[in-house]
Amino acid sequence: MGDYKLTLVSQVSYVEADIEQLAQRTEDEVREHLAAGKLVEGLEHMSPEYLRGIRRILTVSADTEWVSAPSYLRAAQHAPALNNFGSAMSIIQDELAHAHIAFRLLGDCGVDMDWLMYERPAEEFKYPYAFDVPLNSWVELVCANALYDQAGFVLLSDIHQSSTFGPWKRALKKVDKEETFHLRHGRTWIKKLVAEPEGKAEVQAAVDWMFILTLEWFGLPDTRKRHGIQLEYGFKGKTNDELRQDWMRAVVPFMEEVGIQVPAHLDEDTDTYVIDCPFPARFDPEKREWDLSVGPVSWDEVLDRWKGRGEMNSVYVRTMQRGYQEAHVG
Amino acid sequence: MSRAWEVFARQSYEEPLHHVGAVREDDEELALVSARSIYDEQPWIEMIIVPRDEVREAISA
Ligand SMILES: [Fe+2]
Ligand SMILES: [Fe+2]
Repeated sequence: MGDYKLTLVSQVSYVEADIEQLAQRTEDEVREHLAAGKLVEGLEHMSPEYLRGIRRILTVSADTEWVSAPSYLRAAQHAPALNNFGSAMSIIQDELAHAHIAFRLLGDCGVDMDWLMYERPAEEFKYPYAFDVPLNSWVELVCANALYDQAGFVLLSDIHQSSTFGPWKRALKKVDKEETFHLRHGRTWIKKLVAEPEGKAEVQAAVDWMFILTLEWFGLPDTRKRHGIQLEYGFKGKTNDELRQDWMRAVVPFMEEVGIQVPAHLDEDTDTYVIDCPFPARFDPEKREWDLSVGPVSWDEVLDRWKGRGEMNSVYVRTMQRGYQEAHVG
Repeated sequence: MSRAWEVFARQSYEEPLHHVGAVREDDEELALVSARSIYDEQPWIEMIIVPRDEVREAISA
């Protein structure tokens, strides 16, 4: 165990120290390259700022895909029949392939992939808080397909359209197609479930806690977060609030169509979605309930909850790292 | 870090090989297994791998 800690420390400093070495273009050269309509194809086109930025967004994406696998796997055990379990397994396999794309590109960006996947401490993973909350049933799994995979789809489509990092942009064509299948899986199941009162109540109960968690997924509002370099260097194309709107535009009409209530509606005059509950809100992770009676809370309170992570963080990371740790650390 | 291999594949005799991704393995046999198992999303008729460090650029992007 002592050796293992040492490796971690040296890997962390390795990750930081080599940036200037690996990315030798100046910031002006990167701006010129992008202004000429070219894509960044590898380290040879990157400046230190570009490399730091692309690593950051690739890590969030890789971690999100990666953690969805153990989360969905745990819930898939409640599949009503073997062929349903099969569909869930094929979704999980897709997620691992998506994670692999982002991790191998991080490898090309000079990050140690083994450290990232198998040695990194649980609390250093950078996926949304929603995955720290367990999915406990088949109904919750299919609701996650309809809500979480929709969020993934919104974020990745934006990157697919706007990213200036060529290898990622091209790889996302396949990912978008597969995410469409995941959210269709969720929607098909929800339609089937709401036909019976009991199923409808279960979907409503799941959506009640998952909807606001997915709203949070898109991060701080634009008034609190500067996107400067993220947009300028084309790590993404849209701001957090624009992406949150895109997600509501996809999810809210579907939920209305199937008779599931969500705390958001379209304001026709401005053609924007309005959140109808206090937001951001206080969450009780143990009960998986929102305490809306206290009204909106500060984003600082939300950031504290995110930083504290939730019960499934260490469970999922342990699940994914166990084989490697047993083989390498003993 | 392990050696990188670029993976190329095609689905029909009418189409040329195209780039589908990359794998990292030191060992050639392992790289072949990795490529086949990681990129199994399509019914390929052909798949090849090329060590990245053997690639020469005639025109750079
Ligand atoms: Fe995915
Ligand atoms: Fe997905």
